[in-house]
Amino acid sequence: MYRSDVLGDINQKFKEGIIDVIDKSSTRVYIEIKASSLVKIANYIFKELKARFSIASGVDVRSHMEILYHFTLEDINLVISLRVKLDKSKLEIDSLTPSFEAANWIEREIHEMLGINFKGHPDLRRLLLSEDWPEGVYPLRRDYKEWDKKAIRDRGV
Amino acid sequence: MSVKLKALLKSPWVFHLSTGSCNNCDIEILDCLTPRFDVERFGMLLAGSIKHADVLLVTGSANRKSMERVKRLYEQVPKPCLVVAIGECSLSRGMFIHSYNCPVPIDKIIPVDVYIPGCPPKPEAIIAGVVKLVGKVEDTLKKKGK
Repeated sequence: MYRSDVLGDINQKFKEGIIDVIDKSSTRVYIEIKASSLVKIANYIFKELKARFSIASGVDVRSHMEILYHFTLEDINLVISLRVKLDKSKLEIDSLTPSFEAANWIEREIHEMLGINFKGHPDLRRLLLSEDWPEGVYPLRRDYKEWDKKAIRDRGV
Repeated sequence: MSVKLKALLKSPWVFHLSTGSCNNCDIEILDCLTPRFDVERFGMLLAGSIKHADVLLVTGSANRKSMERVKRLYEQVPKPCLVVAIGECSLSRGMFIHSYNCPVPIDKIIPVDVYIPGCPPKPEAIIAGVVKLVGKVEDTLKKKGK
């Protein structure tokens, strides 16, 4: 298995799902994909190429939200990051948890921090936030405003 | 009450409570307890259970979840007890002051007797702080004439 084969394979198999491929460096490649083809491509990378699912990260970049799914191919020393851009008016994406369990907790975390809805997730509870956190307030969004009237934000000097 | 307080000054047993710190302060506390700095010279001993402790060492900026645990632990310490806040985070939350998850500093949750600043404070500073605390309590006891 070589790097060029792997990337060529993905490009060829999912031609209509891929928007852009950014070859960042010899060990890093970003593939921007359509949200609708995420499950197919992630399944291929995870199950056929036997990549390791490292982590996913969600980012609020003002104009849209994006999720990056990072996969590691250890034999060829390559990190593939699948970038999915989501429109802020429709924050929904298919869950990867039915395909592999490792996506479970990180999807729960992205859900509570950014308010992205993962369709098909078996158990979309809160992961880290406390019980008294109000519903519908997402701390890592750009437009997050302090909601706690009792909070003290000065050092008292 | 004051007899009890006098008794605990002879050999204060400390309980180490981390409320979500970066572990640097915890490492310095461990440094104090182990032979290099050796606070056992002053009779201080790490207690395994909060119910055996006289002094509560608190590190870290308490977040919304650990706040409840801090309160619950403070209720379980045999009174009278002394609370020592160690590190910038537990004093004023340091760089986490604007964090959505750290609404109030430790001393708004439980009463604090001694503040030891530093990020992390040196073991010398921690020892000095605790010795000052012991001295302060002894003084107040003397003034009361007990």
